[in-house]
Amino acid sequence: MKLENEDALDNYIICHQCLTLHEEIAIADGSHACCTGCGGVLYRYNTQRIDHGLALSITGLIFFALANFFPLVQIEVLGTEQFITISKTIFTLFESGFYLVGLICAFLIFIFPLMIFLINLCVFALLKAQKGKKITKELLVLLAYITPWSMTDIFLVSILVALVKLIGYAQIHIGVAFWALLVFVLIDVYLVKRIQIFEIWMLHKRIFAHKDEV
Amino acid sequence: MIEVDESTLIRCAICGAVNMDKGKKNICRRCHSSIKDKHFSTQKSWAYLITGMIAYIPANMYPILISTQFGQTEGSTILGGVIFLWEHGSYPIAMVIFFASIIIPVLKFLILIYLLISVKYPLGKDKKVTKHKLYYMTEVIGPWSMIDVFVVAVLSALIHLSMVSIVAGTAVTAFAISVFFTLLSAHAFDARLIKENC
Ligand SMILES: [Zn+2]
Ligand SMILES: [Zn+2]
Repeated sequence: MKLENEDALDNYIICHQCLTLHEEIAIADGSHACCTGCGGVLYRYNTQRIDHGLALSITGLIFFALANFFPLVQIEVLGTEQFITISKTIFTLFESGFYLVGLICAFLIFIFPLMIFLINLCVFALLKAQKGKKITKELLVLLAYITPWSMTDIFLVSILVALVKLIGYAQIHIGVAFWALLVFVLIDVYLVKRIQIFEIWMLHKRIFAHKDEV
Repeated sequence: MIEVDESTLIRCAICGAVNMDKGKKNICRRCHSSIKDKHFSTQKSWAYLITGMIAYIPANMYPILISTQFGQTEGSTILGGVIFLWEHGSYPIAMVIFFASIIIPVLKFLILIYLLISVKYPLGKDKKVTKHKLYYMTEVIGPWSMIDVFVVAVLSALIHLSMVSIVAGTAVTAFAISVFFTLLSAHAFDARLIKENC
């Protein structure tokens, strides 16, 4: 194939699932393009992406704060009440000497999810303000590295599994933080799985195309 | 105008940009991260995978959960826990733990071994797309094997009374290490290699 120059490669896209090469075409607002090789979604186009992203990252952060400040679940065993929070789960591991597992859990269910939302917030805010071409780039690279290591969704399912194990032994009360975490996970799934980093790069290119590197 | 061979185009794993393969050291033209060097990627991937597989052995031999009930201490391994749940009628939970802790890790080991061997030797007449899908699947379902570690963490944080308590066992560390290294192995594997040798 013939190209004008190397930058013309921006008009092409390789499917992240099956690595088939496609030429990028303009699609209608709100629709998405699919891969001819495997049928997976290649990219979406939505003119309100930045506003959505900004709103979702702020909402996500609020719910994440709620999920951390209140108890996730409360149980009653033998007349004693016990509750857990995200931080208590991690600290118990440290207290019982499982430093490595505690550290891994701290990153997977607290530090990385928080970082992902903060980075998303910064990136969308910068794109909205059309500022910081270079810093946006660096943030997007960092985001790509930590995205696979956020596991709040898996943690949520794990809480449910643990609770089902306790049915019959204890009385279970689901706390406010559990619902907050559920909302956070839903937003997280939407932000990370639906708005792919590739699409943010497309926005980045469109917005900064006529601006010089600062 | 430049002439580009379509088969040499590569995808940056970090930002998804299409790049031209320029030989040994490829730097992404958009995000400037280095694109994996194909000459080393299988060695790294093998090393992580083997570490993950070795860690999986103690993860299954030692107790993952130690429960104390009225002075009686009892440890249960991953498989022991699944059998206990099954015998007590908690079929869905037994299935979830069985899938997350045994089926997914073992399947991941097998798929990665298969892919790593098929890169070097013309193994398997599967279509390229099938192999890519297989790899993509391991990346998506892989993290779910962390369920058991989180369940143990939640239970031990929740149940510690004077009479009844649950503490994590040694196997938790081994299991977490195993999952961690298998994930690293999958990330280190270069999906581009599937294209080049089949
Ligand atoms: Zn595809
Ligand atoms: Zn890149």
